Amino acid sequence: MSFSFNNDNNRKIDLIRKRYPEKKALILPLLWLAQKQESYIREDAMQFISEFTEMPYMHVYSVATFYTMFRLKKPEKRVIEVCRTLSCALNGSEEIKQHLDSKYSDKFEIVEVECMGACSGAPMCTLDGKYIENLTPNMIDEVLNAN
Amino acid sequence: MQTKIVSKNFEIPQSHTMDVALKNGRYASLDRLFTNKPQEVIDVISKSGLRGKGGGGAGAAGKWQLASDHDGIKYVVVNADESEPGTFKDRQILAHDPHLLIEGIIAACYAIGSNTSYIYIRGEYEEFSDILQSAIDEAYEKNILGINAQYLVDITIHRGAGAYICGEKSALLESLEGNRGHPRLKPHTPQPEFYFGEPTLVTNVETIASVPFIIENGADAYRAYGTDLSPGTLLFALSGNITNPGVYEAEFGVSMLEYIETMGGGVKNGKKLKAVIPGGASTPILPASMLKDARLDYESLKSLGSALGTGGMIVLDEDVSMVKALKNLLRFYHHESCGQCTPCREGTSWVDKTLDKFIAKTATQEDLEILKSVSGTMNGKTICVFAPAVSGVINGFLKHFENEFLECIV
Repeated sequence: MSFSFNNDNNRKIDLIRKRYPEKKALILPLLWLAQKQESYIREDAMQFISEFTEMPYMHVYSVATFYTMFRLKKPEKRVIEVCRTLSCALNGSEEIKQHLDSKYSDKFEIVEVECMGACSGAPMCTLDGKYIENLTPNMIDEVLNAN
Repeated sequence: MQTKIVSKNFEIPQSHTMDVALKNGRYASLDRLFTNKPQEVIDVISKSGLRGKGGGGAGAAGKWQLASDHDGIKYVVVNADESEPGTFKDRQILAHDPHLLIEGIIAACYAIGSNTSYIYIRGEYEEFSDILQSAIDEAYEKNILGINAQYLVDITIHRGAGAYICGEKSALLESLEGNRGHPRLKPHTPQPEFYFGEPTLVTNVETIASVPFIIENGADAYRAYGTDLSPGTLLFALSGNITNPGVYEAEFGVSMLEYIETMGGGVKNGKKLKAVIPGGASTPILPASMLKDARLDYESLKSLGSALGTGGMIVLDEDVSMVKALKNLLRFYHHESCGQCTPCREGTSWVDKTLDKFIAKTATQEDLEILKSVSGTMNGKTICVFAPAVSGVINGFLKHFENEFLECIV
């Protein structure tokens, strides 16, 4: 079935489209809604956004591929992102990554990311986009076994 | 040592909700605001000496005046794309006092003659974006925002999607227009920014959050804090090898070492201080030996060959390998270069890979020369300041800790 937004998202789009002087500005908000709806950005979703914003498909595609948080492939597993930038590295992010890799890599997709702006809670990671700070290997076990 | 102006309400329970915010003085500046003419608001900001708190530290009022003087539909864009490693101050405002931000936005819109504001927030800050959105919704319900307000302001949150470069204001506007976040060429004469061709003020969250205090209490009250050239306060932050990491607001001009001791509880585990990266990863590192007289203001850190930046200090203890620390940062810049300019796109990749040889202790004297030469090539030859900042980072490490790099040469 070709892509369309669900009713809930259509209502949201009606609200935000009045907020921008040009339709092109809706590309990022629409990519976000499409990703939320389908867990990733389908090719026909980009086609839909291209028609909706009256911009070439290639433009929408180039925008979608520029930003690292947009996923163009369906995620197979739930995603854990581990911050690896300096403040987290100084507080043992490498150990956290190794712990996750060794125990949880079949259930979760574990990726390293750059600074998430949570340096006072170093080391940190996200689970399904939610921040978990001041990590220890024990804490990871507790959180992931409860989830 | 702590001085709470912007962070005054942070610790009050439920401070992000309208009821609590109103009880604690939020929106009180609006009455005073509307008794002033717009130009008078810009004048008081100018007199207060408020400087941009996103890292650059340029006088805030100058941008307001440029946007005000330029004809057209006007926009106020708030930069909440906080992505500089070591910086996590704006999120405190978003999470604990979003109404302070809204109050400041109304003042900025009124002053430059704008009815539309966007808050560009980094994609990862979804939780804070939700808190902010509910605060905005509350403000609409109370007719503080929207068509029934005393002065019409619409605020729309626009989420980024994981590009560090979108913290650069012209890249941010490109992103807000629905493009890739590529910085724009800078004009040779002072001009406002432009959103879809219309004059626009782009400003950092904390700068805007400092405005209500100034409107309410006057320029002199703000100038009573800080130094002559760096008036007021900043949400300084500590992370890295520090006992109590966090954000603690303080006046400009306090001693850095004293701040680290008093607010941060000193270096973690009683270790010795080796160095501090003073204001986010992009400010050149300073060894402990240079910090005796270092003060937390723009002038002091500049005179030491670094910069105050965002005020987010990364503390490094005696055990930290400077080669590994630089490698960590260069990997970051390699990942985050937007790819528009060749010296940056290729340079960040090159220096990152060169550092691998130092880590493996297989580097040669030539590799050190390459590092220096590429660093030189990245400086001043690109559209934005990303590559020059990387160059400054490399030069800082090599200037103060070259011996550690020499030890990795076979």
